[in-house]
Amino acid sequence: MNESGPLPVAQKGDKHRKRVRIIKLLRPALGVVVLLFILFRMYQVLVVQHEFGPDTWTRLLISGLIIGAVYALIAIGYTLVYGILFMINFAHGEVMMFGAYAGLFTFQAFGAIKISSVPPTSFLNAYPVIAIILAFLIGMSISATLGYFLEKIAYRPLRKAPRLVPLISAIGASIFLQNAAQLLFSPQLRDVTNPEILKRGEGWKILINGSNVVISYTGVFTFVLSVLLLIGLYIIVRKTKLGRAMRAVALDKNTAALMGIDVNRTISRTFIISGALAGAAGVMWGLHNGLVYYFVGFIPGIKAFTAAVLGGIGNLPGAMVGGLFLGIIESMGPAALGIDFQLKDVLAFVILIIVLTFRPSGLLGEVLAEEKV
Amino acid sequence: MKSLKFFVVFTVLALLFTACAPKATPTAVPVATEAAVATEAPAAVDEVPAVCGTDPFGCAVFAPGDVIKIGMGAPLTGGDASFGLDISQGAAVAAKDAGTFNGVTFELVAEDDGGTPEGGAAVANKFAADQAVVAVAGHIYSGASAAAMPIYEGVGVPMLSPSASNPPLTEQGSKVFNRIVFTDQTSADITAKYLYDKLGVKKLALIHDGQDYGKGLAELVGASFAALGGEVVVEEAITPKETDFTAVLSVIASKKPDAIFFGGYTSEGSIVANQMKSTGLENAVFFGCDGTFGAEFLTRTGANGEGAFAVSLTPLDTPAKVAFDAAYESAYGKKPGELSPYTWNGYDSTAALIDRVKALAVVNAVGKVFVPRGALVDAVRGLKDFVGISGTYTCDAKGECNANGPLFMVIKDGAWVPAP
Amino acid sequence: MKTLIRQAVRTGITFGIVNIFFVLVGFNMLLGILFAKLSGIKQPGAVPAPQFLIIYTLLIGLWAGLSSVSKKDELVFGKKVLLSGVTGLTTGVLTGLLNTVLAFLLINKINARDFLTVLSFDFIKGTLFGLPPLQGILLTVLFFTISSVFGGIVFALLKLKSVQSKWDGLKALIKTSYEKIQVVTHGRNKLLWQIISISLLAVVVVILPLKWGSYWNYVFGTVGLYVILGLGLNIIVGLSGQLVLGYIAFFAIGAYTMALLNSPVPHNLMWGFWPALVLGVVLAALAGLLLGLPLMRLRGDYLAIVTLGFGEIIRILLKSDILTKFTGGPRGIQKISGPTLFGKPFASDIDFMFLIIGGVLLAVFVYSRLQHSRTGRAWLSIREDELVARASGVNTVTYKLLALAIGAAFAGLAGGIYASRNQFTGPDEHALMASINVLSLIIVGGMGNIPGTLLGAFALKGLPEILREFANFRLLAFGALLVFMMLSRPEGLIPSRRPKYQIPKDPDKIDSGKEGKNG
Repeated sequence: MNESGPLPVAQKGDKHRKRVRIIKLLRPALGVVVLLFILFRMYQVLVVQHEFGPDTWTRLLISGLIIGAVYALIAIGYTLVYGILFMINFAHGEVMMFGAYAGLFTFQAFGAIKISSVPPTSFLNAYPVIAIILAFLIGMSISATLGYFLEKIAYRPLRKAPRLVPLISAIGASIFLQNAAQLLFSPQLRDVTNPEILKRGEGWKILINGSNVVISYTGVFTFVLSVLLLIGLYIIVRKTKLGRAMRAVALDKNTAALMGIDVNRTISRTFIISGALAGAAGVMWGLHNGLVYYFVGFIPGIKAFTAAVLGGIGNLPGAMVGGLFLGIIESMGPAALGIDFQLKDVLAFVILIIVLTFRPSGLLGEVLAEEKV
Repeated sequence: MKSLKFFVVFTVLALLFTACAPKATPTAVPVATEAAVATEAPAAVDEVPAVCGTDPFGCAVFAPGDVIKIGMGAPLTGGDASFGLDISQGAAVAAKDAGTFNGVTFELVAEDDGGTPEGGAAVANKFAADQAVVAVAGHIYSGASAAAMPIYEGVGVPMLSPSASNPPLTEQGSKVFNRIVFTDQTSADITAKYLYDKLGVKKLALIHDGQDYGKGLAELVGASFAALGGEVVVEEAITPKETDFTAVLSVIASKKPDAIFFGGYTSEGSIVANQMKSTGLENAVFFGCDGTFGAEFLTRTGANGEGAFAVSLTPLDTPAKVAFDAAYESAYGKKPGELSPYTWNGYDSTAALIDRVKALAVVNAVGKVFVPRGALVDAVRGLKDFVGISGTYTCDAKGECNANGPLFMVIKDGAWVPAP
Repeated sequence: MKTLIRQAVRTGITFGIVNIFFVLVGFNMLLGILFAKLSGIKQPGAVPAPQFLIIYTLLIGLWAGLSSVSKKDELVFGKKVLLSGVTGLTTGVLTGLLNTVLAFLLINKINARDFLTVLSFDFIKGTLFGLPPLQGILLTVLFFTISSVFGGIVFALLKLKSVQSKWDGLKALIKTSYEKIQVVTHGRNKLLWQIISISLLAVVVVILPLKWGSYWNYVFGTVGLYVILGLGLNIIVGLSGQLVLGYIAFFAIGAYTMALLNSPVPHNLMWGFWPALVLGVVLAALAGLLLGLPLMRLRGDYLAIVTLGFGEIIRILLKSDILTKFTGGPRGIQKISGPTLFGKPFASDIDFMFLIIGGVLLAVFVYSRLQHSRTGRAWLSIREDELVARASGVNTVTYKLLALAIGAAFAGLAGGIYASRNQFTGPDEHALMASINVLSLIIVGGMGNIPGTLLGAFALKGLPEILREFANFRLLAFGALLVFMMLSRPEGLIPSRRPKYQIPKDPDKIDSGKEGKNG
């Protein structure tokens, strides 16, 4: 059995090499096929059938950018934590959900405080800017605190464990937080009362092709906020001492400790920042989408994680790019390909698989994803 | 063989658990068994009535002090919980009104089926295993009812749904399924006619939530509308639990429909109504269904809801209705019909079921109450001239027992009013 | 001394926060009602009589006291009492603060139910033991302190030398008797004992389904199906180390194959149970293979998200409009006919139980053989370090695909039986949560081994049915349990033992080499 001389091995090797070559060809071949299909469909929809006018495309683009901005905001938190700990913080969506509830309650409370009765105005509408700022601060603080305790209780003791263990712990924390919210706040869907100046659905109207395209105030607010927070985060990571510490810990935990960086404190602070970002996303979600309930963080959380992976996880601008990209795929994709909107998630995941098959590091990411062989 | 040891330990534990677990409530008397021997002293003989021996599904047995359960599968948690709660509460009033019958009381047992087929099947399996459940006033949602039907069929538990309106439900040859609500086909035809003739809609867009009920209804409306000569410009599905439908609505707006028909429930319907205004559909009419009716739709849409239609079926003010309204409000603090249009149907279906049970039950010498299951199935199907709050019901051979048609409601000045 | 007090205070704060959480989710009411039920007194409505809430308070305090002195055996009795008292006082003060806020709401008739649903006035009154606010608050603090001190005393007593020695004696007795049994059963009559235990098991397994009623058949049938699922996922995650989060998609394939081939709607192809089952298994295995091909290069977390995506794709496609004609759409598929054995219908709950037991035995057998085979060892080497495995000549791609295919096949088997038993299947049954359930089951039970999977399936699927009182809190407890298990025992309740190569005592007498492996 063990007497294989050079000849048999060489024969086996030949067959093997041929097989490998075929498999290696399969991948780009599949890619070309998919690309052709997509181009063909787009040609059909855009040129041949001329389905949608410029007003519709503008609307879809705006939709996509806004949805994308929300995903990006949540994805930034994911990617921050992943970059430092190489761990998927499954409970991130729930942290966002609690921030959303905090925003909801703040707005509700402010809406209930009556300032004057003629004309009947509430605190919310008399001092909307203060109310909004306070809502964000409260939401972000609560989420930041939650993020801190989450790390301390559920993740820190597991830092040295194999990858699966903190993942399950994160899933458990996510389920726990979801149900805690359900028990505390009831499973009812709650409406968020926006201040009058930021009424949902109102916005600037542009006349394109005979119909009014509305660019909603809340949508613009979301987008601008996402960009601002991203820039702010970028500045923190690149320019401050904390940012340097974060980058160092992300690169090599032990050496960073040797260099005098308090690893635990740095990681805690990372979670606080990530939590604060999630909180902002949650309040933003409440303002823009108007619905808050215990499950509201789950699906956007998964989508945002997909976006982060798409853009290259661990990469901050990648999160933004991934988020916007995913948002645009979701809103313009089905229209461009002429398929049902019901299948937009299928489209998103298929694109994810395609991107990861050809560029396992994501669009902007580093090559962390592949097995190094 | 350590794993085997663990297996043994585990099985022993399982046995212990079984021993300590509560036994199921009154056992059914299976087909053709010997009569139960009396444990009481001299006089009365605890004899099983002859009908239990011949009934294909046997009898459910209740001793004095027991509770006859009427089951109900409804969404009790999540976004549509208000529907389920509302109808189950209406039905609970009926169970209370039924009083005591030969020492036995009635109870409405509502279980959460989430409004989904999966939940419906799960709840049905649970009820099927519970011998005290003799009939089911449900399920509330069509999808859940469809999945539950064959399970009840297998154990002889009749259904009388107050709200499951999907037409195919009575086309399957089921012996156990009956309903007192009009079918979606009726609703769709009348809706299409209203849209085409009354509102003058020529181009209709269809949106549904991808679930059994919403999809079925939207497709029926589309077919009826097209048959009348109208044009269905687009049909799209949204995903429930999502909150941003601006993309779909933009695409729909590009087709310039006069009205949008929405098949689904309030949680998504209210979002569609809200987002219509900012996606170029300001001039389109939002036409919902009975799933979008209720106080919640009002509060969710606020000003955006002005002019939105929905389907309801509020009955006329008879003394029975007034009495029920008062009882409901005193028990639950809300007026019936606020949360869903089916509160009265909930009462009626439960009352009808209890009426049939009372008519069929056989009491033996020691006071035990026997309910023959197969006979009950036939009795519910054979319901004739039952006077309920919402009308008088007679079931046909297929299980359609509805007495009335849909009533259109529109939001005007922030409240639901009957549509002209 | 100061540090000890600080620690006691910290424990107290922890318990205080935990108790505040319990109160705000209404857990105190639930336990109160449970105690009332146990004592046989009927409670109208959702708020139990004060004495049961007092019992709840005392129990929490007891627990707090026990925890605060649990690791401190070396302290004197007096110190222990003091520490537990401090803990109890802290917990009591924190809860007292909560009660003060609640009382404030009550007195001023502020309805906070918009914010926290439990806060009805009845609830607040009950939490204050039905007494006027001040007394309620003071009593809360008092009860916590007293019960905590009591807890400390009890613990101290338990740790007394006399009690400890008795306890040690008992443990030693159990140990020696266990060892004696071991010796006897593994001695000369080892075969005899094995035959006895297996036949006992067989008798139990055959008799039970016939006796315990359809409800328990249903529950334990579900447990059995989850065992099969757990074993399948164990092959993929536990043995070969690939983190797959969309496992339920294979279950869906098996279920839908059975459903589509056995129902009048939509296709009316009545192929029968057994052919459909086999086809379901084959299709699921194929799907596993096809899924694996593009994913071979992906690393852990990326693999997770892509497989999650795959699971969702399957679910959405099953539900979608465009495929409704083929899959039945959101309605799912009803009236799936049951199995027949030699022409006779085999579809009662008892028959299904036997079918599932058969499936479990098959799965256990296949798993066990694979685990101890060369394939199993290859998987373990891939799990531990793929690079080294490849360098050692293990064809990682083939083995990883094999793991996916076989694991998927298990799921297909379970899916087919499940669809037939439920007579129904629908797209939303096969959602992400179900995948997470299976994953948690094998992790909590113990990854990579059979008894762990059995225990995990029972704990996660059987217990909730038994503990139906706690239905609302079930998922809450589930999430907490996952975190807790990972923190305290990440290898699972029954940890896997790695196959060890044992150097034979006499180098000249090498036996079959089966010693030292996990049996």
